[in-house]
Amino acid sequence: MSEPAHPVTKSATQLNDEMLSSLRTPTWKWYGLALFLGAVVAWGMAAFSYQVYTGMSVTGLDRPVMWGVYIVNFVFWIGLSHSGTMVSAILRLSQANWRRPILRAAETMTVFCVAVGGLFPLIHLGRNWVFFYLIPYPNQRGLWPNFRSALLWDATAILTYIIGSSLFLYLGMLPDLAVARDRARGWRLTLYTVLAMGWRGTAREWVIFQRASTLMAALIIPVAVSVHSIVAWDFAVTVVPGWHSTIFPPYFVIGAIHSGIAAVITLMIIIRKAFHLEEYLTPLHFDNMGKLQLVIALLWSYAYFVEVQTTWYAHEPIEWEVFGFMSHTYTFILLLMLFGNAILPIMALCFRRLRRSIPVMLAIAVLINVGMFIERFLIIVPSLSHKNMPFVWGTYRPSWVELSVTAGAFAGFALMYTLFAKTFPMVAVTDVREHESQRKLVPLGRTRLPSLAGKE
Amino acid sequence: MELLGIFSNLESAASAVDGLVRAGFTEAQITSLTSTPCPDGVLVKTDQRTWFRWFTLACGIAGAGAGFLLAAGTAWVYPVQTGDKPIIAFYPTGIVTYEFTMLFFLVGTIVGMFLEMRLPPAEKRLYAPEISEGRIGICIAIHPGGEAVACGEGVGPAECVGPVASLSAGEQKSLARKIMREAEALRIVEEATS
Repeated sequence: MSEPAHPVTKSATQLNDEMLSSLRTPTWKWYGLALFLGAVVAWGMAAFSYQVYTGMSVTGLDRPVMWGVYIVNFVFWIGLSHSGTMVSAILRLSQANWRRPILRAAETMTVFCVAVGGLFPLIHLGRNWVFFYLIPYPNQRGLWPNFRSALLWDATAILTYIIGSSLFLYLGMLPDLAVARDRARGWRLTLYTVLAMGWRGTAREWVIFQRASTLMAALIIPVAVSVHSIVAWDFAVTVVPGWHSTIFPPYFVIGAIHSGIAAVITLMIIIRKAFHLEEYLTPLHFDNMGKLQLVIALLWSYAYFVEVQTTWYAHEPIEWEVFGFMSHTYTFILLLMLFGNAILPIMALCFRRLRRSIPVMLAIAVLINVGMFIERFLIIVPSLSHKNMPFVWGTYRPSWVELSVTAGAFAGFALMYTLFAKTFPMVAVTDVREHESQRKLVPLGRTRLPSLAGKE
Repeated sequence: MELLGIFSNLESAASAVDGLVRAGFTEAQITSLTSTPCPDGVLVKTDQRTWFRWFTLACGIAGAGAGFLLAAGTAWVYPVQTGDKPIIAFYPTGIVTYEFTMLFFLVGTIVGMFLEMRLPPAEKRLYAPEISEGRIGICIAIHPGGEAVACGEGVGPAECVGPVASLSAGEQKSLARKIMREAEALRIVEEATS
């Protein structure tokens, strides 16, 4: 170990004070932010209401492109949700100690991303008021949902994922809720007392808790992989040119992790600044996250290359037509995607100095997610624009309604995150304190190095 | 009946545990209350075996059955004929079965964990909020004197109640209080608050 995760030795009370600082009384700035985000959400909801009242004609959707920005959003948000839980679970299982301060930010991101992403198939439905047709139940006409419909697979997978990732978030928070309970008053005391379930931190409770955390981490990874594979199958099991590809599920999963890690980095930077957590989210954490991002950027580039070179070499007319249409019509955003998703992260993240620079990491992370949103758009729209029958070729341009709903979704995610950060501990307090209590500087040769006490 | 001593650091808490064990209390009667986990043996020795994972497994199997019945059973009872495709489609049935299995695994883990922890508790127990601020709690279960009583699941009376069993409950309490004070307990809690 060359560098401690955070080089200070503080008392438990000091650590609690600092890591629970996000729970202090909100400032005017916070209220201002919440109000602004609330206003954007309200605008998005108004646009959606207009769509419900007027009909789907207010969107840019028309033959042959019947999946537009709503489905782009769905795939993007579900993808974004991926890394939170997955990164947290993998780092937990591999016992990477640097994970501790970032766990909560990542796990929370997953829950809210799935919540936002899960709304888009409902928004896209058209007749939104019959959304309950998605749920398998008998109705008065004796109809049951068709399990062959990919929409039902999505509903099942997303239901599992949102429940699973919420439980995973809650499980990790359990000891922290007890800490918050012991310092709280008023409504917070009631809330934390209920959620802490009477946790006292007995030796037996800790044994069971640690076993359960490991088991949950092991169980949530295959769920995360399955969710985005199922989203990919929505496309891959069709015969639409550009979609019918065996590489789609792994390619989608890699893309999801790519955007998810970038989103975790972005949120880490925002939380670090907003709640003054510079001592807990150090350049070391960004360095390690940068290395992860680099590996995933390389994998994503490889997957994209394989997908494109197969199309190019086979030169199947309709596949090539779709690719040609995409590269001619959307040249600028295609290049921006390649730059943001592959060229920039691969070139920049090779350098330790850049990985440790917070502004550089922020720029890279934001550009990756811009690139990933474009990638989702370029998967969906060009393929539908130029399907097998040339007499129904067309184009698609999102309407102001779709863009407003999209803006509302981004603001909704930010608003939920902002409210959560004021209500629950945003840093895994007990995880960080456990690490602190086990760490000690020991003399070795001419220097003193940090050493970790542990069972294994 | 319990007694909880609050200590400022690991060393004084460990010395209290040593004192209690030397006086005849058994490991099964003593537990630690900490806000961060301590490796086994640092303060007390705890049974490392857990059963909740069997509960998780049972839930997973139930989930597989529920998912299969939902997808395949529905298709069978309410057939939707699509071309020459089978009524029970392999692919969707597999997906729904898998997702339900995992959902039940995940829910089963949390439910099983709380069941094994016996949380939320049915009655108030000894606790002190300063434990969250890094203090260490050492909690001792006092048993009716002269009576062999099992103090934990799967723990026999002989392992549970040591030589102090010959003392009355009041005498056990006084002895434990004295040992904790000698080990520099900051305070001793006897009234359940949480």
